[in-house]
Amino acid sequence: MPEIARAGYLEELASLEASALGGLDLVNIALGRTMEAVENQDVELAQVVIADDDRIDGRYLEVHQSLITLLATQSPVATDLRLISALLHVLKGIERMGDQCVNVCKVIPLTGNYAPVDPRMVELILKMGAHTRTLIVQAKRAFEERDVEMARDLVRRDDAVDELNRECFHLALEIGDDADRREWAMTMLLAARAIERIGDNAVDIGEQVAFVVTGLFREFEDASHPS
Amino acid sequence: MLGAATKRSAAEEGKPTMTGRPAGRTSTEPVTATGRGAKTIEARDVNLFYGDFHAVEDVTMTIAPNKVTALIGSSGCGKTTFLRSLNRMHELTPGARVDGHVSLDGEDIYGKGVDPVEVRRLIGMVFQQPNPFPTMSIYDNVAAGLNLNSRRVPKSQKDSVVERSLRGANLWEEVKDRLDKPGSGLSGGQQQRLCIARAIAVEPEVLLMDEPCSALDPLATLAIEDLISELKNRYTIVIVTHNMQQAARASDVTAFFNLDATGKPGHLVEVGATNEIFTNPTQKQTEDYVSGRFG
Repeated sequence: MPEIARAGYLEELASLEASALGGLDLVNIALGRTMEAVENQDVELAQVVIADDDRIDGRYLEVHQSLITLLATQSPVATDLRLISALLHVLKGIERMGDQCVNVCKVIPLTGNYAPVDPRMVELILKMGAHTRTLIVQAKRAFEERDVEMARDLVRRDDAVDELNRECFHLALEIGDDADRREWAMTMLLAARAIERIGDNAVDIGEQVAFVVTGLFREFEDASHPS
Repeated sequence: MLGAATKRSAAEEGKPTMTGRPAGRTSTEPVTATGRGAKTIEARDVNLFYGDFHAVEDVTMTIAPNKVTALIGSSGCGKTTFLRSLNRMHELTPGARVDGHVSLDGEDIYGKGVDPVEVRRLIGMVFQQPNPFPTMSIYDNVAAGLNLNSRRVPKSQKDSVVERSLRGANLWEEVKDRLDKPGSGLSGGQQQRLCIARAIAVEPEVLLMDEPCSALDPLATLAIEDLISELKNRYTIVIVTHNMQQAARASDVTAFFNLDATGKPGHLVEVGATNEIFTNPTQKQTEDYVSGRFG
């Protein structure tokens, strides 16, 4: 059987996958800086993250356009088609993750120049950030290695992020009646919620790994019908 | 998997039988909607030979009625040879031989006493190159099958069959004012539809199509694909195509044939719903072929 590999097309698809997943590295950097800005109430660093989000958006637009061109010109089917469909989803997730980092950075100036009202909330948020960064790394590796088990494990790790988010919420409830303290707590809750969503996006990427490998799309966890 | 076939005996419906003329129905009766005469083809352990050369090995598959089944595979994998075995055209090649069983709604088409000419009337064939009879008019091209197959048919009845067949092939409106003109004067796409009209004029149960669009431009190709989609309401359709996008667009079921090496017999690798074959095939060979990894 003569092998006529579509070398150029396959190289381009592999290169686009690497570019799309490279977007997760950009998100990881952005989230790392975001956590640093939260910890130090560093408004300037927060501005850098906001400005740098253009790089993530640019990556999204560039790879998205190239994938559409590949669809139009190469008629991909089977695994290639599933991969392209998955990458389009992953790209959207990456763009949303970048936006969530921006959301956190936008509220940092609102937390004021004083010491945190409740350092325990900041600690929890920093823990959430650290956990979520490992989720992002694991999602990328699961996709690269087409490892469904590793992708499924994202759910377990994301549960820890969700638990930290709930703890944040309870601390906010106990923050007291003072309006300034409550405003601070609400602002920190917004940040916690944004980070929690980044974790969800990482799980979504894991679901796309399972789709590429098996051809079946199943949500690992159904938010509307939790088990 | 293939859809379940609804099997009804020919006698039950007064439909044509393999060895006899249509019972209780004249050739001018209007064609009704779905499932008029479509039948199931069963191929079991089919092996095909050209002399000593084993061309196709152990093909077993069911071809469902009222569906379009596409046979795909690289050149030399035996898909056209297999197609030609489904209406006993394979045996027309000197030295060609068929082992195994092919049945049409349970009736063995290779059975003793079965007239191969009658088999080919029930299981019509459309070829790669449009091949209207060059010296005949459009009208006579369509009526050719009637003239060859039947006892003398009155002119009014023939007119009716010609119109019905040309309408069935989506060609009537384009040619109704020039039925006496030569068929060879039509465009390639029109000629192919004329050949389809000629094939359906004799009221087959099954239409076999051997790369019917490979000589046509993209618009004519789409016209034929639209026609195939309409014809499946009335016939069982099997189409051999090299154009994988055509298989993806126009068929309900896809069967992938392959051969291990040049000189080895072709065999059926996988058959399944077309959307499955093109999104999530079960066999790596199929995946490689539909993805263009080899061809």
